[in-house]
Amino acid sequence: MDRPTRSPPRPSPATTAERGPTAPVAQAAGAVLLALSRAARSFVLYDPGNALVRQFLADYQAKMRAALDQYGELAIEVRPIDMLVQGEVVYHDADREKSLSFRLFRDGLRRLTILPHATWEEQLKLLEILAVRYSGVRQQEDDTVTLLRRVGFRGIAVVAVEGFTPAEETPEPALDERVGRTGRFRPPVGWDTPLRKLPAPGPLAFREVADESLAPLRAEDGEGAVAELVLSLARDLVQEAMRAGWPRSDLVAFFAELRDALLADGELGSLRRLVDLLGEVGGGELREEMLRGLGDARTLDLVLAAVPEDAARLPPDLLPFLPLLGIDAALEQLAGNPGEGRRRLLTQIVLARLPREADAVLRRLPALDARLARDLGRGIVARAPERTNEVVRQFLAQADEELRLEGLAALESAPGEVPLQPLCELLRDTSEPVRARAAEVLGRRGDESVLDALRGALEGSREISPGEAEKLGRALAEVAPIAAARLFAGWLEPKARFLRGLSPQQRAQQWAAVAGTGALPGTDPEPILSALAERSEDELRRHCLATLARRRKAPRGPASHE
Amino acid sequence: MAPPPTNDLSLAQLSLGRAIGRARAGEDRELAQKVREGGEALAHVMAGLLKMSKVHAPDNRAFDAPVDQLARALDELVNLLGTVHLVAVEDQVYVNEVRIRAEGKGGARDLGAELARHNAGGLSFHAGLDRTAVRALVAGFAQKPAEVAPRRALQQVLLERGVRSVELAPRFRFQTQGEDQPMRRDPVEALLRTLGLVEETYDNLAAGRILNPLPLRRAVVEILEIGPEVPELWENLGGGAPHATHAASVALVALLVGKAAGLRPAALQDLGLAALIHDVGYACLPSDVAAGPEGLVRHPPEGARIMLRQRGFSESKLRRLRAVLDHHRDHMEPRGRPSALGQVLRLAEDYATLLRVHASSISPSDALGSMARAAGSAYHPALTQVMVNVLGRYPPGTLLELEDGRYARSVSPVRGPDTFAAPLVRIYDLKTRALSRERHDLAVEGAVHRALPG
Repeated sequence: MDRPTRSPPRPSPATTAERGPTAPVAQAAGAVLLALSRAARSFVLYDPGNALVRQFLADYQAKMRAALDQYGELAIEVRPIDMLVQGEVVYHDADREKSLSFRLFRDGLRRLTILPHATWEEQLKLLEILAVRYSGVRQQEDDTVTLLRRVGFRGIAVVAVEGFTPAEETPEPALDERVGRTGRFRPPVGWDTPLRKLPAPGPLAFREVADESLAPLRAEDGEGAVAELVLSLARDLVQEAMRAGWPRSDLVAFFAELRDALLADGELGSLRRLVDLLGEVGGGELREEMLRGLGDARTLDLVLAAVPEDAARLPPDLLPFLPLLGIDAALEQLAGNPGEGRRRLLTQIVLARLPREADAVLRRLPALDARLARDLGRGIVARAPERTNEVVRQFLAQADEELRLEGLAALESAPGEVPLQPLCELLRDTSEPVRARAAEVLGRRGDESVLDALRGALEGSREISPGEAEKLGRALAEVAPIAAARLFAGWLEPKARFLRGLSPQQRAQQWAAVAGTGALPGTDPEPILSALAERSEDELRRHCLATLARRRKAPRGPASHE
Repeated sequence: MAPPPTNDLSLAQLSLGRAIGRARAGEDRELAQKVREGGEALAHVMAGLLKMSKVHAPDNRAFDAPVDQLARALDELVNLLGTVHLVAVEDQVYVNEVRIRAEGKGGARDLGAELARHNAGGLSFHAGLDRTAVRALVAGFAQKPAEVAPRRALQQVLLERGVRSVELAPRFRFQTQGEDQPMRRDPVEALLRTLGLVEETYDNLAAGRILNPLPLRRAVVEILEIGPEVPELWENLGGGAPHATHAASVALVALLVGKAAGLRPAALQDLGLAALIHDVGYACLPSDVAAGPEGLVRHPPEGARIMLRQRGFSESKLRRLRAVLDHHRDHMEPRGRPSALGQVLRLAEDYATLLRVHASSISPSDALGSMARAAGSAYHPALTQVMVNVLGRYPPGTLLELEDGRYARSVSPVRGPDTFAAPLVRIYDLKTRALSRERHDLAVEGAVHRALPG
């Protein structure tokens, strides 16, 4: 996300040694460790797709490359609160909750040597392990040392011990009697039998085994193998559960984990296969539970993390799952003003839940920024037109002018009756475009009941622009032509005309009357406007002629608007 | 799913983001939270009780509430974890590897000092304690420490007072660099630790608890670092309970074969871990079902079911589950071939079981020879040859009659193609069944006349 909720992982005063290292190699190592620590923490603090994370990553890459190019090898000694290179402290943080060195030390790491030939992939793997440990997860399965050992680094060497050891300064003999432990396991009689009948022994000889005969076995833990493993396990476990009558609860959590893992890996195609497979092998209820879980906030995070923030479009494999993702969580994230990419993705997730989840969106609309509210409001209007009035009501109450205009646009095309009272109130809005648009919509969707409101707008003390007056005049002609014609006649011949000249209000009324007359049905308006044009001067004359021209041009009579 | 990233950094960002996502998906937050909270309560109340015991008599009513709290906190943790290890290391406190936040809280931080009065560094609770037992425990700590071997003396007091499920651990400190080498390289110690862990794990799983793979993984890592081919490991396999010894045997053979087959370190760790717990399914089968053919068929899926109790996703867990499900499946299984780890496990399991069940009637050589002839149907042919190549003509444990008329027992796997039929041995006295202290290298001197059962 563009705006992190937490402060960036800058080194606190505690994270750098009070007096920096003096040896150049130590200085370089210190810079690498700082960059490593920052990058690892950045993955915990921010959305992994964030541009800031990439910046930290680039810094780590550059510092590491520079240090290895120049000094060849970085041998780092790990102590509880600091790390040393060539005897100099290059990293120091006494805060054990945050300290990189304490995390490594606690897990048993004592020396970390980055060799000159350490590849970028290995450097990244090191960062990944630290980032995973920084996030405080995987405590049951692995620690830093087992994770480092799993990788089988060639360019990074580690020296590790078991984290803590008996301090046997005063060793004591153990008691003969063993302390009791409840629930001891005893294997059953005849376990692992009967053995299959094997042939008589054959001779044993050493034979080279061709590498290609073992390669497929090794490939089972390669890239992309997890998805296949997931599917095979899912099939076997569901079948076994049905055969042996395991309660469904034995498998529910496991399948949720599989779902989340596939999401985290971006393996959406495999997730679809898993969903299908569950249906095929009779795990329909499990499938439903698994899909329901897609609505969790945590699951949504996984989806977001799997899509690069700057992705131009949604991955096609994600589309089938969009309607299942959590709308509340998505709205929550949208309310936090995410970056453009995230916003696009989240908006699509929300729109995919319409019209079913229109209530959830409507509840949130007032809290969203104007552009987002507009997009989602349009979504509701398009996918749940019967809820248009609710969108309109919310938009019309917004302080943002654009949203009020959006509400008016929605109202104009809304099916069924429209609420006229709020529209009439908008004739007193502070924004002229809103007032003008309200008049326009009233003309199209209103009836005689709004005549007084329209008239009142023109007879009030507020100054009205010619454009707004035109809209009001036409609206009057549309909702109540007969009454409007009478009004217009009065406004076109004001009594005070030759005495003091026209007031601004009279000018506006006259302007409205010309436009309104042009919109009246029948043949009378044209001679009225022609005569008025002949006896008027300048602007009013031009207004009359333009109105006449427009009226003559209009294909379906006077009521069409431009 | 995502459009291909445009450069190295984008790719790295994507891959790291996914790794974090996977790790988060794999976290059992609920369990971690419960252990952390329960552990904090246990550590704080324990420290508080030990302090109080210095100013109040054990029957003082002031103890009632904290004694209740401790009993409750302990019960919850025992239900979750099985054996609860409460350990103070310098100023840190851990409950089963989970660090307890002691900063800013007086109680837990002082626990180490309270325990140290009796030269203890931790307490292992193998079961919950009732109120009487908690009081007895506290009263024991309240006593003046014995001048000689105070921890042992206190342990004796606790046993006398009926507190049999609490074990006092020695004081701990963080290891520093360099001092680890002698301890880490002792294969016998590593093997004994592994056997103990396997027993504890089976006990916990049999009691319905959740698998805690980390200590087992550490044990496997240690064996891999030592090297599964090291003779001391093979010579000391008999030191545990039958199921633990069997599990360790299967693990050693499996690691040896897996390593020779070129499996990656991560797969080897997972293989070793699966081998240590592969038979745990027997723990939840009724005894009449477990014994005999039905037990043989049902324990792999039941084992997988037990392992499913462990929450949180990891690829390791999947591989473990797959291997345990597959460990009795034939290579030519009509439903589809077993996984690679399952096939290695199958070989190791059958080999160890053959020797366990027919120890007196079949030699390891013949067991391996029989299995080799079933390669292609029951077993993966290439893996079977790998197993033959690493165990040799006279696998560890084979009783040999040497050409000079002496007897010996093979104690090493194959060290290289030229030692395929020339293992390290210890001379064996048939009458006393004693083995020589020295090992002899048959590649250097002596020759085998024949292999014998037994």
